[in-house]
Amino acid sequence: MWKASAIAGLVAAAIVFPLIVTVNYFLHLAILALIFVMVAQGANIIQGYTGYVSIAQGAFMGIGAYSSALLSMRLGLPVWASMAIAPMITAVAAVIAGYPSLRVKGHYFAIVTLAMNMVVFIVLVNWISLTKGEPGLPSIPSPEPINLGFVELAFEKRRPYYYLTLTALLAVMTIVTLIVRSRIGQVLQAIRQNEVFAEAAGIACWKYKLFAFVFSASLAGLAGALYAHYMGFINPTPFSADASLNAILAVILGGSGTLTGPLVGGALTVLLPEMLRVAEVYRLIAYGLILILVVIFLPRGLVPALADLAARLRGNKSKRGAA
Amino acid sequence: MIIDFLQQIFNGLVVGSIYTLIALGLTTIFGILGIAHFAHGSVAMFGGYLAFFLISTLGLGLLPSFILAMLCGALLGVVLERVAYYPVRNAPPINSFIIALGLTLIIEKTNLLAFGVDQVIIPTPFNRVFSVGGVTMPELRIYVLLTAAVLVGGMTLLIQRTWIGKAVRAVAQNRPTAALMGINVNSVSMFVFALSSALGVAAGVLIGALFAVAPGVSEGLVVKGFAVLILGGLGSIPGAIVGGMVLGVTEAFAAAFISSGYKDVISFLLMIAVLLVRPEGLMRGKAR
Repeated sequence: MWKASAIAGLVAAAIVFPLIVTVNYFLHLAILALIFVMVAQGANIIQGYTGYVSIAQGAFMGIGAYSSALLSMRLGLPVWASMAIAPMITAVAAVIAGYPSLRVKGHYFAIVTLAMNMVVFIVLVNWISLTKGEPGLPSIPSPEPINLGFVELAFEKRRPYYYLTLTALLAVMTIVTLIVRSRIGQVLQAIRQNEVFAEAAGIACWKYKLFAFVFSASLAGLAGALYAHYMGFINPTPFSADASLNAILAVILGGSGTLTGPLVGGALTVLLPEMLRVAEVYRLIAYGLILILVVIFLPRGLVPALADLAARLRGNKSKRGAA
Repeated sequence: MIIDFLQQIFNGLVVGSIYTLIALGLTTIFGILGIAHFAHGSVAMFGGYLAFFLISTLGLGLLPSFILAMLCGALLGVVLERVAYYPVRNAPPINSFIIALGLTLIIEKTNLLAFGVDQVIIPTPFNRVFSVGGVTMPELRIYVLLTAAVLVGGMTLLIQRTWIGKAVRAVAQNRPTAALMGINVNSVSMFVFALSSALGVAAGVLIGALFAVAPGVSEGLVVKGFAVLILGGLGSIPGAIVGGMVLGVTEAFAAAFISSGYKDVISFLLMIAVLLVRPEGLMRGKAR
């Protein structure tokens, strides 16, 4: 009951937000935060629930962004269609990347995925006939307007696009919640706890790991497509390994293996550097310091720490784990 | 053709020797503490900048600057271990990795603040170019190779022949038992960080002399370092040497005969292939 009302409150606040806050810059940040929360939620599936740290989310975001942009520009597909196809293309790329790399564990897996991210980045920069390289792809179309009868949603405006990303995020959150609560989610957590034991219990772990990897990649692909058609311009820079590292930070910061953690963490990784905009260089140093402090003093992440605090304040020290 | 071939092998060995220096630090830290020390590339770049500063602004000689930079690097390594990694030594490995990312940001941006955004090349007086049987060997490249060889040799002797080296190997093999045998595990950690960071700084200075020190170089560098570890096997010193050479030569061949834009792709694909076929690395036996 308490939880349901909290979720309803959060959704209501997200819906009302652009009506109250009319400063374009804040709305812009909010859209970017929503998009990045989606990437973080994807990272959470493979990293938080399955226990495999993938440093390739940025690359998958890039694959999604470029395939959606190119489908709509080169093939002239409707933007809605290309935004729907882009996550599938990303998923195919993730199957190709994940099938071999998931055979290794731990740091090896992290480093292989990091190398894959750099490979994708180099290809984006060097395959100039397709991607136009470093200068990037300009004038990517916005999604076609939708006429709802009483109002027309023109997606080149910020407010309608905000609602588009919010809808997409709500859909993603619903699917993720269903997956996590299902048998698949149980198996993924079993793999995180003890893969050998799960295997011995008769589970074909590789299928589940591949599923988690591909699913998390397609979320990043969808986020990339939303990013491309929002910005109207993309170049390889936002899809470097830095983006993947940010996704990992988002998961850790918010609380890995929790459903709400990536919401907080993803939003913070977009907003924190902006809020610390005292001086361009110092803010990144401060950002680094905050990260280190969080990991040392709040190793489970912000959301579980706050949940513990709330539970203690309400006097029931019993349950409320990292659910 | 054969001359081109030898030329690329020479170029590859020079670059590979620098990769080896980076990888040696990473591999020792990984072997002792199980930490993927991602900030190592930024530490190396810090060293490059520092050496440049010592030479161009303070007017010190090349060799004293080199040694002084390495000492500063060692000190920095100890500070990093104490302040950042020590508090999370018992937490899951991902935490130390996040710490490493935070450190990367901090060191990288401090470099920017302290030394500016321009790329710098460390000035050296070595301008002669030798030609051995048609293979061009710039004097500078020969010295880079020699310096790296001396450092790698010294490091190997230190680890294999001295008391502290024995302690390092013991901790790498079995930390609790080493502690029970009276080895101060904490000081071994600090020592490893000091040694590794000094080697990293040396690599940074060599890169600064050979190519340039610039913002944004460090990430590629540290990934190359990890690629070497994977080629050679995590935690293995001979593996790091062989891996560095293999990576350097592959890259040189890829750049010369395939495409210089995609040379990194080719070296990463090599690494991925090795990881899939021989996850224990090229050097390690099948035993473990």
